[in-house]
Amino acid sequence: MSTLAFFLTQSVNALSQAALLFFLGVGLTLIFGIMRIVNFAHGALYMLGAFIGYSLVRWTGSFWLALVLAPILVALLGTAFELVILRRLYRRDAHAFLMVTFGLALVVTEAVRLIWGPDALQVPPPRLFSGVVFLLGEPFPTYRLFLAGAGAVMAIAIWQLLERTRLGLLIRATSQNAEMVHALGIDVGLVRSAVFGIGCGLAALGGVLAAPLVTASHAMAATVIIDAFVIVIIGGMGSFLGSLIGALLIAFVQVFGNYYLPDFALAFMYLVMLLVLVVRPGGLLGKEA
Amino acid sequence: MTFKPRYTRRAVLAGAGATIASPYIFTSAQAQAAGAIKIGMPLALTGPLGSVGQQQKRGAELYAKLQNAKGGILGRKIELLIEDTAGNPATCVRKAQEMVERYDCRLFTGITLSSEALAIVPKLAEWNSIFISSDNGDGRLTAESFVPNFFRANTSGPMGARAVSLYIKGAELKSFYALGMDYAWGHNSVQVFENEMQRLKINFIGKVFAPTGTKDYSTYIAKIRQSGADGVYLVLAGDDNNAFLAQAAQYQLSSKMALLTEQIELVALRAVGDASLGLIGSARYAFTFDTPANKEFVALWKAEHNNVPDTFEGEQWQCMKVFEAGIIKAGGIEADKLRPALEDLTIESVKGKVLIRKCDHQGVQQGFMVKVVKRDGFDHPIPEVLAVLPEDRTTPPCNKMTYDD
Repeated sequence: MSTLAFFLTQSVNALSQAALLFFLGVGLTLIFGIMRIVNFAHGALYMLGAFIGYSLVRWTGSFWLALVLAPILVALLGTAFELVILRRLYRRDAHAFLMVTFGLALVVTEAVRLIWGPDALQVPPPRLFSGVVFLLGEPFPTYRLFLAGAGAVMAIAIWQLLERTRLGLLIRATSQNAEMVHALGIDVGLVRSAVFGIGCGLAALGGVLAAPLVTASHAMAATVIIDAFVIVIIGGMGSFLGSLIGALLIAFVQVFGNYYLPDFALAFMYLVMLLVLVVRPGGLLGKEA
Repeated sequence: MTFKPRYTRRAVLAGAGATIASPYIFTSAQAQAAGAIKIGMPLALTGPLGSVGQQQKRGAELYAKLQNAKGGILGRKIELLIEDTAGNPATCVRKAQEMVERYDCRLFTGITLSSEALAIVPKLAEWNSIFISSDNGDGRLTAESFVPNFFRANTSGPMGARAVSLYIKGAELKSFYALGMDYAWGHNSVQVFENEMQRLKINFIGKVFAPTGTKDYSTYIAKIRQSGADGVYLVLAGDDNNAFLAQAAQYQLSSKMALLTEQIELVALRAVGDASLGLIGSARYAFTFDTPANKEFVALWKAEHNNVPDTFEGEQWQCMKVFEAGIIKAGGIEADKLRPALEDLTIESVKGKVLIRKCDHQGVQQGFMVKVVKRDGFDHPIPEVLAVLPEDRTTPPCNKMTYDD
């Protein structure tokens, strides 16, 4: 394998990993930006997305249908959770949300175990992306290429949503000054419900997309929530662009770090986080606390 | 007129106290009367190796259910104490300690990770407890870390590595690379495999270890490819194994080199489907083993679960059979009686004859090489036996993890 081929394939691979991390991170950061809530259930919802995706693929035979429906179902669940439970807690301090979202994580995890059983389940990649392409003579799974593309498309879509649509305007306004938005006659509660739902749906989207790589498994939830928090902390809590940069940074550091210094594979992510926090305590694009 | 309470405060308190305490008194009295045999199982039911712990649980539960229906062992019911450790050695020690102190548990099995087992064994003498491993791979448990109250009924990591290397000897593979999980078992097995390759004069190109919980194996796959080896030796389990197999298939790694693995589990074959086809490895247990005891076990399993038993379900079953034979021979479960009874004990098991040898308490048993194939009647690939290796070839010399010949 030539050095150039190695760098090319691993860079595209890092982009595919960044896409998965971005779906998690951006949902988490949107929810934090609007609601000042750290959603501990994010990893569990990512896992739920993978398992719902598994069932939908089995029932419908279509990965694409699962890719669309699973995030919508989880988004609806998230919205319902916001309407029924979180809404009652906004007057409380942040601890209440930690407990409640952590509780949601436990409930979702156990529910998945009861419904789908304890074993990992197979979600094959869609037929269209089940082969390899040759990048400078090196085989590279087309599914990872698709992931990198999906990440780019979604990043642009979310950016357009935030910058160009009325909902985006309301989201940005609410994150800056919710009281003022309220005073202007906007139902802030509705914006919060929508954002919580969208954030949960994005986590589920990541889950469905990750399933062909890692299978749908229970351990997904625990391992991924840490990554998501690290990305959000690096990027700056509540910053869309920050979560994108954070995801790219972590993915590249992990992929190339694992290759050159495999003994320190687990440490890289935290070292980058430490470095960022020392230089910019509020994260790369966050406001200093 | 003053209201006079009918109950004094003291009576109410006493009543409440009795109500709270009564369930405990009841269960302990019940257990005493029945003299239940308690077997502690601090299992990794969650975490990356949760699927292994779940198998151990199911294996032990079916055994206990069927044996209790026959009246238990020595007329005493079997009571399994099952707790989740999430694969954390410190949690494992704490839960085991609790079982000893609160429930007077003196028998242990099913501790899922070798790192957990290595943390438990130094405490066995203090707890006056016997621990029979049903899955711990690390060779050190019957070598430098050996303690008299530890027994291993299962095939160890070195034995799996040995089976693979005996197989390689007959295959046309000239060079190898190795990928292991970055904890006790992975390191130990890769080390044994490396030694075997050097003895066989097969070029061992290098090795790499991936942390447990690794999700993206692309860099490891790149390293394996770059090594240019004819084959790669894998020491992976649980979710990590599934992720690797799925991704290796997507990178079409098997078109470049042979994939040999230390253990093959159905749970992985179900999780990755056709991505596992063609994989060759040693199997600690497979439902396809052709022994009378295994046919009987598979039938019992099908009747209960409506599917076929997996690797650690079979291993746990074998381990429970060792417990049973040992307890009957000893006439009790006290460590001082059970230890000598287990030494040099022979049983006819699902894997054929198993001898728990006295010198290091390792179960001497046959090795099996299997290949993952598709067969009618199964909606997932299954392991088919390629070769059965005699026990004297696969089991290492006493208190050792390396082989002399």
